[in-house]
Amino acid sequence: MAGAWVRIRPILVAVALLVFSAAAAPLAAQQPGSVDPNAAAVKEQLLLQQRNRIEGLGTIPDAKSYVIEQPMGRAWREFHEVWLHWIGAIAVLGMLAVLIIFYLSRGMVRIASGRSGTNIVRFNAFERFVHWMTATCFIIMALSGLNITFGKHTLLPLIGPSAFSWWSLAAKYAHNLLSFPFTLGVFLIFLMWLGGNVPNRVDIEWLKRGGGIVGHDQPPAYRFNAGQKGVYWIVVLGGAAVAVSGYILMFPFYGTNIADMQIAQVVHGVVAVLFVAVMLAHVYIGTIGMQGAFEAMGKGTVDLNWAKEHHSLWVEQERLRNDPGRMQGQPSATPAE
Amino acid sequence: MRAFWVACLAAVAIAVGAYFFLSAVQEPTGVAVATDGARIDTSWVWRSLLGTSVSESGKKTVQAEACDMHKNWQWIFIDFRRRDGEAGACWASQ
Repeated sequence: MAGAWVRIRPILVAVALLVFSAAAAPLAAQQPGSVDPNAAAVKEQLLLQQRNRIEGLGTIPDAKSYVIEQPMGRAWREFHEVWLHWIGAIAVLGMLAVLIIFYLSRGMVRIASGRSGTNIVRFNAFERFVHWMTATCFIIMALSGLNITFGKHTLLPLIGPSAFSWWSLAAKYAHNLLSFPFTLGVFLIFLMWLGGNVPNRVDIEWLKRGGGIVGHDQPPAYRFNAGQKGVYWIVVLGGAAVAVSGYILMFPFYGTNIADMQIAQVVHGVVAVLFVAVMLAHVYIGTIGMQGAFEAMGKGTVDLNWAKEHHSLWVEQERLRNDPGRMQGQPSATPAE
Repeated sequence: MRAFWVACLAAVAIAVGAYFFLSAVQEPTGVAVATDGARIDTSWVWRSLLGTSVSESGKKTVQAEACDMHKNWQWIFIDFRRRDGEAGACWASQ
């Protein structure tokens, strides 16, 4: 009996499948548009939901290329095609708007007591060299970096695909290659000005009194006030962040995987656009925002009255040093070099 | 502003050094992610698939495989001019 059942069972299963198929066929035929043109996409989506990624097999050594789709890749694409645009536009254009409004309402911060005609050395030649090397590289990298994010939406329609391709190619090389002198500059800035940028109690008082920018107060400060210290730490920490994340992107998969690369790109993009926004404010206060400020990096010297108004404690330190060589009895228009 | 100009020169000098450093360390895509059996020729351009290409003047040009690759100094000085005798397809596609 058991032997007979074993022999009959496959036949019964086959018959059951046949009956089931015959019954199901008319039902399927009754569905409108039984040939779904999007069937492949539906299967892909189902596959993605079930396995969390779509991958296959390959013969080339790069096993990463076997993965065709993965959820994090979609989130990353959403970031750099949507979110980064918003973050960058709000940060950069928002800062520009704030600076324009501020300039129109406050105007240039002038030397209240006028120029004294005596200059004091503010930054030596090496400090200015490091500053300008870092700044020049930063400006070029900022423009080329913004081109990567915004160029295809803003510049491409204006100059056309051919010119945009050449510009983007050159910009990409400049971006990568100038990262090396930029990184060196940030490192030298860190070492060079660390001593003067450690926060102290004077900074709290400076911040409480609005730093002389908001209002017309002139709170005391050493060589670097709280605002400049903020810029210093943003440059050092932000510069380190964009440098590390940038080198990860420049050396793809050198000890990193796809997720690491995506994270590096997110960090690089966000920190970079915020960095650009902060540097816009730095450039503003160093040029049209404050009378006599640009001379510090332009010539290396500042007017003594400017120094007394904005860095009174530093001027006192210089006097106590009893170094008459640092006080130059020259007209302020005389270059230090 | 002497410090500024010296800084610019230094930045360019370091960038040139960085170019040669990167050239020594990094591999072209065709080498890094392919095998001997399926190598991607980095000088290959899509126009080579067609064999000929239409230049700006409307004339058909030669195959793109004849294109010269840009030299190191051309990248450094961003000199992408069309070479003498080089096909229009090369100039437009590299």
